[in-house]
Amino acid sequence: METTPGTAAPGPVRPAEKSRTPKRDYPGALVVVEGIDGSGKSTQLYLLKRWLEIGGYRIHFTEWNSSPLVKSATRRGKQRRLLTPTTFSLLHAADFADRCERQILPLLQGGYLVLADRYIYTAFARDVARGCTAHWLRNLYRFAPIPDITFYFRAPLDVAVNRIVAGRPKLKYYEAGMDLGLSLDRAESFRIFQERILSYYDRMVESDRFVLMDGTVPVNRLQKQMREILGDRIPLAQFAPKKP
Amino acid sequence: MKPSAKNPLAAAPPAIKRVIKPKREPASRFYGTPLPGVKEEELSGSLIVLEGTDGSGRSTQIALLTEWLESEGFAVQTMGLRRSFLVADDIDALLAENAVTRLTLALMYGTDFFDQLERRILPALRSGLVVLADRYIYTLIARSAVRGIGRDYLHGIYEMALRPDITFWLNVKPEVAFDREFKKSHTINYWESGRDMSLSNDLFRSFIRYQSLIRKEFEYLSRRHGFIDVDGEASVATVNNQLRKRIAAHLGIRSTRYHPSHALAHVWR
Repeated sequence: METTPGTAAPGPVRPAEKSRTPKRDYPGALVVVEGIDGSGKSTQLYLLKRWLEIGGYRIHFTEWNSSPLVKSATRRGKQRRLLTPTTFSLLHAADFADRCERQILPLLQGGYLVLADRYIYTAFARDVARGCTAHWLRNLYRFAPIPDITFYFRAPLDVAVNRIVAGRPKLKYYEAGMDLGLSLDRAESFRIFQERILSYYDRMVESDRFVLMDGTVPVNRLQKQMREILGDRIPLAQFAPKKP
Repeated sequence: MKPSAKNPLAAAPPAIKRVIKPKREPASRFYGTPLPGVKEEELSGSLIVLEGTDGSGRSTQIALLTEWLESEGFAVQTMGLRRSFLVADDIDALLAENAVTRLTLALMYGTDFFDQLERRILPALRSGLVVLADRYIYTLIARSAVRGIGRDYLHGIYEMALRPDITFWLNVKPEVAFDREFKKSHTINYWESGRDMSLSNDLFRSFIRYQSLIRKEFEYLSRRHGFIDVDGEASVATVNNQLRKRIAAHLGIRSTRYHPSHALAHVWR
């Protein structure tokens, strides 16, 4: 039986330290975007993906959302509001493990440039904001390959929150962090919850080598920066279409 | 199944030879950081765990212990694997399909465990009940560890779990477990024989090899966590006497006299 390839770092290293060095025992590369809702990350990743697609690069795009595997459990838990911070976290970890082992890792081994809209840092920020311990979460997600680049899109809280609240008629219960009893008002609860998430994201900038992106910069200029950083850090020729 | 040294999820060989002294007086009722929001001092009940493979007699003993404790005036709550409201059905579906990776399965079992712990067991312990667990985190750790997932990773996940007051290990040889299971269900379960691990194409051999691996893990866990190793091959009555004696001492029950009711008399042999 084989062991999981391409995982973070060897042996009994402390979880906090192991996440710093990308370990590349696969030919592919992993680029992720992170940030709170409304920070502009998905737009930017979409534009990056289009640029690479049009250029014919070997890429794959993956999103942080529920696979059929845990969909029924998540739905059951959310509808009846049964999820605790721990089970919420574990269920999402199970879901991510499935995507990781069946999609992300094989693609990295197959030499793809994998673009991920949200990654394990989303779980760290959101679950710490819910009350899980960071140490426990770091261990839980140890199996995840470390990204080659993590773009962190940072927009001021008010800008991000207003983008979301304006665009969505109703915030969902867990999305707004209503399970934490922060406020009876959903919009207010959402704001406090996002503020907590944002502050944990900020704490990871250094420890997890985030590339800070200013979410208030105009879209096209930000995209230009993103493409330049990608070109500097990733040997793109490796993923380019083969010339006959 | 050679675990790679590079891999944090790979299991290190069990350090069975090293003598690990069980902590006599655990400082905390949790293995590590407690679950968020739980106050230990509120947990006045007792958690008693029965571990052992299929065919070790766990369910029979739990039925008997429940009856005995209730007759002594103790309210009992039970837990087991795949019994959560949240994900039990989903795990059943995953097992039936056999299209799931070992890591995902391990995390689904973890969800199942913590759902029961947080929503059923902790409330029971706060109310002073005796919780009888038909298997606990040790089976979950052992099953994943023999499949190559690192022990420190697994212990890390379950560090927020509650440390049992007593853990009995109903220890039986794989051959005996095989006989008992076959008698009971006329076949051998796919997962209980480790068929996903390609140990052997021969069902009997696969079962024996898999259960031997699990047993080795339990020997290690037993040292590390101070299990009470009970000879599960002894008669139901003998095993039950041993369990009652130990539980009575823990709960301060003076007499351990017990005769099963008519409803349970048939298992008393």
